[in-house]
Amino acid sequence: MALVGTHELKVGTFDKHLLKRNQKKKAKKRLIIAGLTLTSMVDMFSLLVIFLLQTFSTSPELVMVTKGLSLPAAISGRELDDAPVLSLSKDGIFLDQKPVGKTQEILADPTPLMKKLADLRDLWQRSHPKDKFNGMISLQADRDLPSNTVGQIIGLLPGQAYSTVQLAVVSGSGGGK
Amino acid sequence: MASAGPSPQRGARNKSLDAEINLVPFIDLLSMCICFLLMTAVWMEIGALQVKQLVGTDGPATSANSYEMDLKFVNKSKVEVNLTGPTKKMQKFTVEGSTSEMLLGNLGTLLSGFVNVLKLNPAADVKNQMGKTISVARVTTKTGVPYGDLVGVMDRLREHGIINLGVIPSRE
Repeated sequence: MALVGTHELKVGTFDKHLLKRNQKKKAKKRLIIAGLTLTSMVDMFSLLVIFLLQTFSTSPELVMVTKGLSLPAAISGRELDDAPVLSLSKDGIFLDQKPVGKTQEILADPTPLMKKLADLRDLWQRSHPKDKFNGMISLQADRDLPSNTVGQIIGLLPGQAYSTVQLAVVSGSGGGK
Repeated sequence: MASAGPSPQRGARNKSLDAEINLVPFIDLLSMCICFLLMTAVWMEIGALQVKQLVGTDGPATSANSYEMDLKFVNKSKVEVNLTGPTKKMQKFTVEGSTSEMLLGNLGTLLSGFVNVLKLNPAADVKNQMGKTISVARVTTKTGVPYGDLVGVMDRLREHGIINLGVIPSRE
C-alpha cells in the first residue's frame, strides 16, 4: 500500500476526494441558484397577481355551460341578462340544468317542455306580482347541432310567452369547449 | 453642499435606513392571492345574441319607410338574401362561400355594399342608419346547416347594425 506523507493511500481515496469536492461545489452553486430562484419567483408571482387582478370580473356568472356542449362564437355578443336557461346538447334538452328529454322526443311532443316553461313563468309571476312577464329565456345550444332543430325549439318558446331568446355565445373569435 | 444623507456622527446612533421585507409572509400572501384569483377567474366570456321571435308575438314594428331582410340558407355554403323595400319591391342577392368563414366574409361584404342599395350617407354612422332602415331580419334555417353557422350569420347582421333578428325553422 502506498503512503503519502503519514496517510495511507487506499484504493478509491482519490475518487472519494473528487466526489466530496464536487458535492461542496454543488452545495455552493445550489445556494446561489436558490437565491436567484426566489427573486424571479416573487417577480413571477407579482406579475401573475397583476394579470389576474386585471382580468378579474366582479359580474356574476349567469350561465353555467352544460358539460359536453360547445357554444358558437360571436363578436357582437352583449351581456347576458338573468333568465331561465334552456340547454340543447347532443344528449338532450335541459331546463335550468334539469333534464327535460331527448330532442327528437320533445320535437314530436313538446308537452313536457311546455309544462316546465309554464311552471317557471308562473313562479316568476308569483315572485313579481306587479311586473309584466318579460318573456326572456337564455338558450345554449351546441354549435354542431342542426340549425333547423334549434330553430324548431326556438319556435316553440313563444307558445309559453317566451318571445325574447338570448342565444348564448362565446364572446370573441374563438369558440370554447 | 447640501446632503440628504444623515450626518456621520448621528448616523452611527440611528437605525439602518435599508428596510427589509420579510419574504416568507410576502410569498405566502402572493400564493394565496394567486390561488383565489385563479379559482374565481372567468376563462370563457359568455355573451348573448338577442332574438325576437316574430311569429305569434308582438315583434318589432315595421315602419312604412323601412326595409325587411329575409335570409334563407339554401345549403351550408349558400345563403339567399331578399331585401323587401317600402314599395314591396324585392331585391334578391345570393351569397356563396366554400367554407363557413368565406360565406360569412362574403355576407359581410354584401351587407357593407348595402350603403349604396339603401342610399345611406357613407359620411354618417352607417351602422346606425342601416339599423334604422332595415327594421327586421329573419333567418330561415335549413337541415344540414350547423347552428354555429346560423349564429355566424346573425352575428354579421348585428355587426352591421341590424339588431331586430328572428329565426324561422324551415318546413322540412
